[in-house]
Amino acid sequence: MSTSSGNTVLQVKGLKKHFPVATSLFSRQKTWLKAVDGIDLEIEEGKTYGLVGESGCGKTTTAKMVLLLENPTEGEIIFDGKNALDMTKEDNKIYKSSVQAVFQDPWASLNPRMRVSGIVGEPLVVNSTLTKGQIKTRVEELLVEVGLQAYQADLFPHEFSGGQRQRIGVARALALKPRLIVLDEPVSALDVSIRAQIMNLLEDLQEEHNLSYLLIAHHLATVRYMCDKVGVMYLGRLVEEAETEELFDNPLHPYTKALMSAALPSHPDIEREEIILTGEVPSPINPPIGCHFHPRCNLAYEPCAETPPEVAHPVPGHRVVCHLYPPEG
Amino acid sequence: MNNETRIGDVVLDVQDLRTYFVTRWGVVKAVDGVSFQLRKGETLGIVGESGSGKSVTTLSIMRLVASPPGHIVGGQVKLMGEDILQLDEGEMAKIRGDRIAMVLQDPMTALNPVFDIEDQVGEALKIHKNQSGQGLKDNVIEMLRRVRIPAPEIRIKDYPHQLSGGMRQRVVGAIGISCDPEVLIADEPTTSLDATIQAQYLRLLRDLQEETGVGIIFITHDFGIVAKMCDRVAVMYAGKIVEQGDVRQIFNNPSHPYTEALIQSVPKMEEKAQRLYAIPGQPPVLFDLPDACSFAPRCPYAMEKCHQAYPPVFDVGDGQIAACWLREDGASTPAAATSAADAEAAPTTTEADD
Repeated sequence: MSTSSGNTVLQVKGLKKHFPVATSLFSRQKTWLKAVDGIDLEIEEGKTYGLVGESGCGKTTTAKMVLLLENPTEGEIIFDGKNALDMTKEDNKIYKSSVQAVFQDPWASLNPRMRVSGIVGEPLVVNSTLTKGQIKTRVEELLVEVGLQAYQADLFPHEFSGGQRQRIGVARALALKPRLIVLDEPVSALDVSIRAQIMNLLEDLQEEHNLSYLLIAHHLATVRYMCDKVGVMYLGRLVEEAETEELFDNPLHPYTKALMSAALPSHPDIEREEIILTGEVPSPINPPIGCHFHPRCNLAYEPCAETPPEVAHPVPGHRVVCHLYPPEG
Repeated sequence: MNNETRIGDVVLDVQDLRTYFVTRWGVVKAVDGVSFQLRKGETLGIVGESGSGKSVTTLSIMRLVASPPGHIVGGQVKLMGEDILQLDEGEMAKIRGDRIAMVLQDPMTALNPVFDIEDQVGEALKIHKNQSGQGLKDNVIEMLRRVRIPAPEIRIKDYPHQLSGGMRQRVVGAIGISCDPEVLIADEPTTSLDATIQAQYLRLLRDLQEETGVGIIFITHDFGIVAKMCDRVAVMYAGKIVEQGDVRQIFNNPSHPYTEALIQSVPKMEEKAQRLYAIPGQPPVLFDLPDACSFAPRCPYAMEKCHQAYPPVFDVGDGQIAACWLREDGASTPAAATSAADAEAAPTTTEADD
């Protein structure tokens, strides 16, 4: 599809997640909240794929499906040529240890009653055949690798600061030598002066272990720093996707342009064209017909309200879903 | 923006404000000698990380610090020349919401879920301006219109849960400006909002400021918001203002290593950084801090002196001041924190901006 040169680690095809919602107590008719409504993406080995969008656009639901924490309504998640949604028990076990996660809130994602040794060692207890002694050594190695000290394995999470806790979360994700780590807003809960430490740590680990990342973020500057390829989501659909530099230098979709214009400047002298979107993201229960973005789009014309746009590649490797860009062929 | 015509006289003058928390484990000097001025129509950004004392500073100005354990142990907060720290509680209550108003971070907890919008926006008008009946209702509708809430005649009967996050924050904004305050304290008002909604809200605050000339104190940890919104910036670290100055000076010529490091550690959307500068270590715990620069343990330029004494405030020129021993040479005399732009402006170039 795109100009993929490296090996694909994970491929997502036509992925959908629709949640049933009860409209009234007595109605039998079900309405559906279309959290994710058909997305395709490919994550390459050793690369970072960023999913950006505002709250409610479906980026976290996508991450949960990749982690098999949420059952997709439709679609495929292909890992090593096999569909993760239809795997043998053996393969499933391999998948779950190859795909790990680091979550947003390091206060909520670590069990306060467990020592660090237990938290970081737990995946090893469950998924490996290492002895107690070997696990202890491995945990200490992992802690050193993420910039903590071996003796800290005996401490509890409350004895650490936010940045250190996030390092513990990273160590836990690394324990099973995964190939893909899902990073769901890994720095947004941290103090500003700590964020760069964690981002640099993640970059270093990626280089060392040839890790792939799926980064969920809303902060465009973080995405530009961390990602090789970026997908922009709006109301359950991927509206644009390109290599990071191409996307930031040449955004095509009106929503992407509006997001970038809304991003805060890094210097007071930077004056951006202000595209202030009117209104807010509509409810995914009753998404607008046609293009989901058309009620807020300043460039919308007749077809936008009637038919959903199709995928176009105005620039090779740059995918956009918008009526302004007619599909090829 | 033509700052000269927009910005007027000093409305709020904070001098050497100190707020300490006395706990079983020791004294926390959450705010330790903070001085700044806010002018009419001006936006002052107070930037800092969690625990730097920026929120306690504004709570002290409002005299809303829980006591015990908190005590305002010293300093002055002059609103149009009158020290409001000396007022009794009844007089202070008349100022809160009327002459100094606040917009808080989380609109869901700032609004009361069991009262409708009309009650909540009208409350301050009822108490401070003695309005009632149809006049009050008309004013509430007018306030909602000013914060760009569509169909305000219908919306005033809504409860907070019926509004979206962006709308709720607008309602909080309407409450803030309802009595036409001289000072509006905005404590991270957009951190819970999405990017495009944040852009709408920041634009709204700026429009309201242009209409009313209110002075805004913007509490934030985000230099992006500072770059977009503020005229002047005060950077706080461990309870003290370490640097203060005009927004462009702070960005072009940061004179305290902490400011410089913070600006360099934030990724930019405009270009891809090769590698971010990561500030080593963590912010200090505020119990019984030694008499030394609190940033020294994390500072790449730290000298012996930095670990021995807290630096005085040095004038860097053009009203920019920094509490850092690096600025000792090149700055003529330690400047008082109040020194305005007309103080002797020695243009100093600093080795800090490389």
